[in-house]
Amino acid sequence: MSPAMFYDLNIPWSENLGELQRTVAFLYELGYDVIALTHTLAGKVPSDLTPPIPTPLPFPTPPRLRILRRCTLYMHDLGLNNKLLSQLREHYDILAARPTNERTLQQACATLDVDLVSLDLTQRPETHFKFSMLSSALARGVKIELCYSQAITSSDPSAKRTLISNVVQLIRVTRGRGLVFSSEAQSVLGVRAPSDVINLASVWGLGHERGKDGVTKEPRSVVEYARLKRTSYRGVVDVVYGGEKPAAEAGEGKTETKGQKNQGKKPLNKRDADSMEGTPVSQSGGEKDRPISKRQAKRNKKMETAQ
Amino acid sequence: MVRIKNRYLVVNYLYPHGNGQSNNKDLPGALEFHQPTPDDFHEGRLITAIRNGVTELFGDYGLGMVSTSLKVNYHSTATSTSIIRCPQKHFEMVWAALTFMTRLPKPIDVPVVIKVVRVSGTIRKAEEDVIRRAKELVLRAKTGDSRPGDDQILRDVVKTVAKRRENEVLLGDEEEEAEESESD
Repeated sequence: MSPAMFYDLNIPWSENLGELQRTVAFLYELGYDVIALTHTLAGKVPSDLTPPIPTPLPFPTPPRLRILRRCTLYMHDLGLNNKLLSQLREHYDILAARPTNERTLQQACATLDVDLVSLDLTQRPETHFKFSMLSSALARGVKIELCYSQAITSSDPSAKRTLISNVVQLIRVTRGRGLVFSSEAQSVLGVRAPSDVINLASVWGLGHERGKDGVTKEPRSVVEYARLKRTSYRGVVDVVYGGEKPAAEAGEGKTETKGQKNQGKKPLNKRDADSMEGTPVSQSGGEKDRPISKRQAKRNKKMETAQ
Repeated sequence: MVRIKNRYLVVNYLYPHGNGQSNNKDLPGALEFHQPTPDDFHEGRLITAIRNGVTELFGDYGLGMVSTSLKVNYHSTATSTSIIRCPQKHFEMVWAALTFMTRLPKPIDVPVVIKVVRVSGTIRKAEEDVIRRAKELVLRAKTGDSRPGDDQILRDVVKTVAKRRENEVLLGDEEEEAEESESD
């Protein structure tokens, strides 16, 4: 198997470009392959949704580091809706929600069309996390994000303590599934190498394997799922550029890929194709409706040929 | 005879804000974060720092568990590398204590990020790893900016491609293979 790629999906975007550049270079040095710069929206959402993060970034970045844009929405009340989110999705690679109380957490887990539910772990939650609530998020493919940097940099021991107790609680409630570890580091000193994060997770009771998933597999599924929601047709069919070909052949290739993808995934109702555009993927069904991975498709094919 | 089992942690000190001493601005990009550690940070200070860290995180119980065989086997300030020995069962505590460290201890007080680059069961492998990494770093400084372990990744890619090709060849003579598997 090819070596794993490491993800850190939460680097706060700041105006202090020197510091940010240093952080990005340091993350690359530590061994991360994909990072996401986070723009935080608190309170009222402005009418101009274009992100303040310029493309391309105003400083040189390591050539092989993939940099994504992410938006974190603070939820103080139930004012957010999926229509606004679908507008935001055009501007950002990843959307995350940060609920601040019980009711918004419920909304974020159950209905909101986001990719990540990010929790502020330095605050004691109003009630205990409930499995039914979080599992509804995980069933839709929405992952839970844990930010470790505050445990490292914060000088306040009680914040550290609360964070650890919250993490342990979340690990118990989600049974260790669907957790994404990211830093949310305000300065360079708050980030740690992937192996150190995995060790931290294992000290906190998650185990090495699950800890590794938390910086490789789970964030990857977040990124890819978000990309599919943005670019593909209903998050099911996506045409991948298949190299340089003459015009006629290229057309053939496209239909082929479509055919292949549909083979493994039967219940695509063609009937309501016209009204599909607006409905988000998450409402059309649970995890089983997700597109099969390339690997799975290959495996299926292999099985067929073997038989 | 039963041996007492240990783990050896190979540790690198990285300085995101410089090491507070030398001000060479024209360092090669690869060495931006790999700067020499201040000489005041000797083995004794490292041990004390680890002990304090373990006590802060795990209390007296943790310190008692760890201190049975805690020792610094190798410490080089010039290359910012150490090898730390700790009990096999509780090396995670020492690792966590290192992860939670953000500054070198008091009189030096330089911001630092400590990265555990290798966990080994024998001191020999740990030493070999230190030498390998030092060589790699020298090479990077000379040639340009590639990340440590990149050549490893390339090697892995080559390996996977070779394996895939092999599989394709095998799929080519499918019938033979089918017969073989049946006979198995």
